[in-house]
Amino acid sequence: MTENPDDRMLRLNAALDGELDTMSALEFERELDADPALAADYRRLGALRQAIRRAAPLEAAPPALADRIAALAPLYAPSASVIQVRRSGWTATRPLALAASMAAIGFALGAGLMSLRTQSAAESVAQTLVSDFAQAEIAGQPFDVASSDRHTVKPWLGGRTTVSADIVDLASQGFPLAGGRVAVVDKIPAPTLVYRHNEHLVAVTELPPDAKGARAGGGIETVDGYHVARWSDANLAYVAVSDMDEKTLAEFVAAFREARKPAAEERR
Amino acid sequence: MTNSGAASIAAERFRAIVPPLLDDAYTLAKWLCRNPADAEDIVQEAAIRALKALETTSVDRPKAWFLAIVRNAAITWMMRNRPKDVAYAGDAADLDALDPRLGEAAPDPEAALIALEDGERLRQAIVALPAPLRETLVLRDVNGLSYRDIADATGAPIGTVMSRLARARGALAKMLKAEP
Repeated sequence: MTENPDDRMLRLNAALDGELDTMSALEFERELDADPALAADYRRLGALRQAIRRAAPLEAAPPALADRIAALAPLYAPSASVIQVRRSGWTATRPLALAASMAAIGFALGAGLMSLRTQSAAESVAQTLVSDFAQAEIAGQPFDVASSDRHTVKPWLGGRTTVSADIVDLASQGFPLAGGRVAVVDKIPAPTLVYRHNEHLVAVTELPPDAKGARAGGGIETVDGYHVARWSDANLAYVAVSDMDEKTLAEFVAAFREARKPAAEERR
Repeated sequence: MTNSGAASIAAERFRAIVPPLLDDAYTLAKWLCRNPADAEDIVQEAAIRALKALETTSVDRPKAWFLAIVRNAAITWMMRNRPKDVAYAGDAADLDALDPRLGEAAPDPEAALIALEDGERLRQAIVALPAPLRETLVLRDVNGLSYRDIADATGAPIGTVMSRLARARGALAKMLKAEP
């Protein structure tokens, strides 16, 4: 294979960033298997990018800056009714916008209010994840790392969370991987995989099996207009939040659980 | 009346879009201007521009959109306050001097990997990159924008984005190898 070395580098980078189209990605995967030098360069590049991300993480904007930004577009007059408005639900636009600005004022405050209100730890986890999901959707960034490449999403999550995310490929069942992000549950960063189905998304958060929100089995519940499914396997507990209908979410959960089972035998 | 209507729509859009992106905006600004206090000014300036723009625009890719504003605000701010520092127009020559290839001259790949664990050196190496390479790298690896979004945000063709990114990463790998 004689390839212009510059083009080779561009392609390695594009593959790593999940920017190859499906057919090119397939071809690239085959070449990786056949060409150890290419595979070694790919690994090095991946290690470099991971190191960059560790060395240059997102930094929290100073609270004073967040206050000044929030003050640019105030919502009516700030008053005690704020809490009630937010309580009334996540589905209306106004509370959502309000919640977004509240998040800027102080996420800790918001989280505190939320946990005061909810009845049990398990419900509070579901509520947190539903809020995350809604907010991420509104912000137009349902994931922090957008990629359909498992080999991109996995190291990204691996660098940021303690639970190991073993990423299953559900594209052939109609749920291609869209990306990953980190949810914070009970102060612990938890890997969240985002899959797509037509125009809808489902976000699966992986928790340690003893996490407060974990629940062994059971059907699908509805929280603030979103569907939530929870289940566990031998190693982890899962919470899936989605704007899909109940039936499609059930299909997704079945496909996910099925794919997880033989994960150990997978090629890579 | 129309005016206040537009303003209240803009405010509503703003509240949904900007606060969730604040950390991204601040981090980007900090990498571009290399100073935390200036980064705050830049983000505030960008937010004001965004609020104004939202009176007439609705946005379908908010992250790329707002970060493009932050990036432009950073460049304007640097030109105004630190013109000597701005190399946006003139470092095409620097770009060509950088070897985008990675690993070719690595006699000991393991050592290169270990060097990567040194976060401070890596941060210095990122700061030392020419501005167009640095902004491309940060938009991709810190902010997580797609190539297309970066092309939109920086006004560069996608091929340029790809080669800047490859050059930036190649340069980092090389710098890390060079100084033990």
